[in-house]
Amino acid sequence: MADYLYLIPLFPLIGFLINGLLLGKLSRSMVNLVACASVAASFVVSLLLFFDLKSLPPDSRVIEQVLFTWIPSGTLHVNFGFLLDPLSAVMILVVTGVGFLIHVYSTGYMKHDPGFGRYFAYLNLFTFSMLTLVLANNYLLMFVGWEGVGLCSYLLIGFWFEKKSASDAGKKAFIVNRIGDFGFLIGMFLIFWHVGSLDFRVVMEQAPIVFIAGSGLVTAICLLLFVGATGKSAQIPLYVWLPDAMEGPTPVSALIHAATMVTAGVYMIARTNILYMMAPDALMVVAIIGAATALFAATIGLAQNDIKRVLAYSTVSQLGYMFLACGVASFTAGIFHLMTHAFFKALLFLGAGSVIHAMSEQQDMRYMGGLKKYLPITYITFLLATLAISGIPGFSGFFSKDEILWKSFSSANGHPILWAIGFVTAGLTAFYMFRLVYMTFHGKERMDDETRKHIHESPYSMTVPLMVLGVLSVIGGWIGIPHIFGATNYFEHWLEPVMAAGKHFAPVHTAAAESGGASTEWMLMILTVVFVLAAIFIAYLFYNKRTELATAWRQRLTGVHNLLLNKYYVDEIYGAIIVRPVINLSLFLWKVVDVVFIDGFINGFATMYDGSSEFMSKMQTGRVRSYATLFVIGVVILIAYMVME
Amino acid sequence: MSSMDITFPAFDLRFMAPEIFLFLWALFVFAYDVTSKRKSSTAAGYLAMLGLMIAGAILAYTNYGQGYGSMFLFEPAAKFFKIIFLGSAFMAIGSSFGITKERIINHRGEFFGLILLSTVGMMFLSSSNELLSLYIGLELTTIPLFVLASFFKDNKLSVEAGIKYFIVGAFSSALLVYGMSFLYGLSGTTDLVQMKINIAMTHLTFKEIGVILVLANVLIIAGLGFKLSLPPFHQWAPDVYEGSPTPIAAFLSVGSKAAGLIAFAKIFVNGLYAFNGPEMAPNDWGILVGILACAAMILGNTVAIRQTNIKRMLAYSSIAQVGYIMIGMVTMNDLGIASVGFYIFAYMFANMGAFAIVAIFEERTGSCEIQSYAGLSHTSPVLATTFAVFLLSLAGIPPLAGFFAKFFVFASAIKMAQADATAGWLYWIVGVGLLTAVFSLYYYANIIKVMFFSKEASPYRVHYTFPSFGIVLIGIAGVIIFGLYPEPILKFASDISLSFGFLP
Amino acid sequence: MIPISAYLIVAAVLFGIGTVGVLISRNMIVVFMCVELMLNAANLALIAFSRALNIMDGHVFVFLALAVAAAEAAVGLAIVLAVYRNRETVNIDRFDMMKW
Repeated sequence: MADYLYLIPLFPLIGFLINGLLLGKLSRSMVNLVACASVAASFVVSLLLFFDLKSLPPDSRVIEQVLFTWIPSGTLHVNFGFLLDPLSAVMILVVTGVGFLIHVYSTGYMKHDPGFGRYFAYLNLFTFSMLTLVLANNYLLMFVGWEGVGLCSYLLIGFWFEKKSASDAGKKAFIVNRIGDFGFLIGMFLIFWHVGSLDFRVVMEQAPIVFIAGSGLVTAICLLLFVGATGKSAQIPLYVWLPDAMEGPTPVSALIHAATMVTAGVYMIARTNILYMMAPDALMVVAIIGAATALFAATIGLAQNDIKRVLAYSTVSQLGYMFLACGVASFTAGIFHLMTHAFFKALLFLGAGSVIHAMSEQQDMRYMGGLKKYLPITYITFLLATLAISGIPGFSGFFSKDEILWKSFSSANGHPILWAIGFVTAGLTAFYMFRLVYMTFHGKERMDDETRKHIHESPYSMTVPLMVLGVLSVIGGWIGIPHIFGATNYFEHWLEPVMAAGKHFAPVHTAAAESGGASTEWMLMILTVVFVLAAIFIAYLFYNKRTELATAWRQRLTGVHNLLLNKYYVDEIYGAIIVRPVINLSLFLWKVVDVVFIDGFINGFATMYDGSSEFMSKMQTGRVRSYATLFVIGVVILIAYMVME
Repeated sequence: MSSMDITFPAFDLRFMAPEIFLFLWALFVFAYDVTSKRKSSTAAGYLAMLGLMIAGAILAYTNYGQGYGSMFLFEPAAKFFKIIFLGSAFMAIGSSFGITKERIINHRGEFFGLILLSTVGMMFLSSSNELLSLYIGLELTTIPLFVLASFFKDNKLSVEAGIKYFIVGAFSSALLVYGMSFLYGLSGTTDLVQMKINIAMTHLTFKEIGVILVLANVLIIAGLGFKLSLPPFHQWAPDVYEGSPTPIAAFLSVGSKAAGLIAFAKIFVNGLYAFNGPEMAPNDWGILVGILACAAMILGNTVAIRQTNIKRMLAYSSIAQVGYIMIGMVTMNDLGIASVGFYIFAYMFANMGAFAIVAIFEERTGSCEIQSYAGLSHTSPVLATTFAVFLLSLAGIPPLAGFFAKFFVFASAIKMAQADATAGWLYWIVGVGLLTAVFSLYYYANIIKVMFFSKEASPYRVHYTFPSFGIVLIGIAGVIIFGLYPEPILKFASDISLSFGFLP
Repeated sequence: MIPISAYLIVAAVLFGIGTVGVLISRNMIVVFMCVELMLNAANLALIAFSRALNIMDGHVFVFLALAVAAAEAAVGLAIVLAVYRNRETVNIDRFDMMKW
């Protein structure tokens, strides 16, 4: 069974090669078939391997397959190998499952696009990279996948590259990611330097021996790795690329910027949980940034008018939740939310895609409204997802978000303020999501007649994935029902072996910090639900019942509204503080250092050479007597030189 | 005089068979040309080439051994160099048919015969184990070359080349003999192996002989430096190469240099074996030759860039190549001498090939100016390409043979410098070598640029004639094959080092 | 007995004179004469050493070196003749067509 592990990334790679190399030569249905079949095959194998893994006893649930030694250079010994343990099993199921659904959806969405073949080639390449990332058994191979998904993200964001905004967005994503990658690399080097290997299993075993818990070194490594995570997973301060990434096709936004790539940072931190548990200061930083990002992004989402922008900021915000979970040493909750988020956020994006498709590419919500009667399936599934994300009890999002909130309050690494921030954000999330629903599907129809004539429900290729995801959004959380409901938290048990080693380092007063116990948990849960319902009601009020209230409040708080609408002017600030100076420095280095010094040096050298050549050639006078003279002078000088020695 | 017991040393002419044969064949070529009715213009030349081939065959079957006492010693080093001499003579004659067809009417036999005689001298030289036979071999090599350089009596440049070669050559020959006399005086014998021991022992007891030894060293270096065109004894080379007939210039550049190399190796590496390395200062010839090698590399590569005549440029380039070879010579380890042998071997193919092409072009167009090669790639692509290959091999571009030649030379020096702490000065020399090798690419590439990247196509359309084409093919084959697969030659060259007492 | 150093000093002086002669003279034939002078000085040195060491090698060497010098002279003068026929002068300084 271990032997089949490599098939999981291999299938999408084959799909990429076929679609990529035979670009333009295959028929549309062939391209569809190759792309979707490869991901489907990966999914099937993932499923089979999952059951294989499950059949193993809990503490030895690891399947590893090393394909070959990649770098055997001195002390650096890096394998090309895959590791399947409970954590990566969850990830591959999410990636291949949701990926497959999105591939199917794309066959319908991208039907009329001329760059069809290229799209699916890139999408397969992305799937391959993502699977490499989550299945890698060492940091270096994971980094390869990390960079691969970054590359595919760039290619797919800038898919319609003739549009300047799209190609700019692609570049921005890549560059901002690179900044994060730099931190990742330094962290990786430090790990290698002290542990001597980049292999996950080796690092996990050696870490308690090599590092001192709480020392500056471990904290530095964790913070550096986290910098990489902030780049890839769009946290403060490197989140700015994600909203711009909406320039890409909507299924891309669904797959890459909601369900899979952006979760890579969370996965990486969960994978490295032992080091983070040894560095509580780093955990605190992670938690704080996660919480801050969650709140920050949610506030921006309140004021956005583009349907995809709202969802983008929502993604940033939900990612903040996941990091918050990790930061309070509840990695399981983070991964759980990752999974449920994949379901409902992908659904939200695909639904938005369906809406945009129906509205003839119109994305501004101010020109939508009342679509529910035109797009029933889209509406229902979208609503399910919205309920999930808002944290309505019974839906998947409720269980995962609730666990995060509880752990941020009660965990030894947690703090009530963190809970408070999460609590407020939950309300804001509900508010802006229902604002979106009301503006888009309910109320007056604000679109022009031309557009209205073309509104149509999407074809089955697009609606069936929506339905599947809808079901998952509802039931997906039922495997992680917390204890207080009396059920077994399957998810937590499943991931326990992976997080076990780190538990040693959990702060001593864990038991005591479960302050209050069950009753506090119930109380906080009920408080949150009430707050969320209140937020939904306010949204209903503002955007459905009495929309003039929304306008009135907007006018009263114009300054605040503008600030939110312009995303706190963060991009402009970055531009002035960072981008401009770097550009100026490059110009200086070019015009002065390169042209004047370096070129001048080389040219001067050549001129000197030429000059000495002229000088030396004058020695050859053409007269034999001077030849003989030089002969004799040479002899005399050599004798003199040797005698002087 | 001591007793009347005269013991005859072993006279064994068998070991000298190739030389004797070639000598007689040279006389035969002379005679043939005088007596024949001169119907065919190429008969004498083909005869000469045939003679060379037969001599080579005889060489292959001659056993190693000593004849005529220590005057004649046939050993692996000698065999290797004899192959080079025969090869260079063969290729020189092969490329000369076009030029000699028109320009030499009456004395064709002498032309080829003299080349053969010069080759005999070189072969004799490489087998010598003694100062006397070395000197005679050297003279037998050079004197025919004096004549050959001025063979085109009506050409002003040729006679000028001849007289310059002669005067400087005779001068250096006198210096050489004077130097040899000191060596003889210090050691009491002319036998090189015996000299090695005697001088070392004398030096141990009488440190004062140091001054005389320095004198001897320098004078002999001057005499041999002339042959090798090592600065400051190089000034005849550009003029002689430019003025003399192209095949003779080719022969000079390879054969005469190889002769100088083997003579140098015998006297210094063998005879003055102990006197290498700074600890023997002031008597060490190592640093002395090292300095001259640097001068060769710097001067050759620097002045070559401003030359407009291709033969002159090739002369400066060969001055530089000698510099590289001498690096191998001063490193006294097994790889050093082997690298010298490999270098001259690779150099033979590249240089003879290059000169062959120059000869072809000169025959067709009458010009040796670099500018006249402009645009050649359009009209004669084969010629241009082969020329480019030869030039790149000279420049040391992989995967051609010239690259490995330079590589082995530098590698041997570095190896020596790492193994022996006192040989640190070798690092400097290798540094100079590397730097100047980079510079040299400029003037080689310049010709390639003129041929391939000129705006207009050449007005000349140059075809190959049969023997020259064969020579060029041999050259290309050698350069490419030994570039891809240098091991056999390197192995053969390593045997040379055994003759000099280096154990691998 | 004349000490060997006397011979050597004579040889050195002759050699020096010959060298200076080569460097100064303008007539090709005179130049060649001076070269011959140098060769003979070297031969003298060889004989002196041979005498001092009481072995015959030096004498043999001189025999052969003299023969070689004669051959060289023959060839050289032939070249001078060819040069003269071509250029009507034996002034060595006039031959600088190839330079730099």
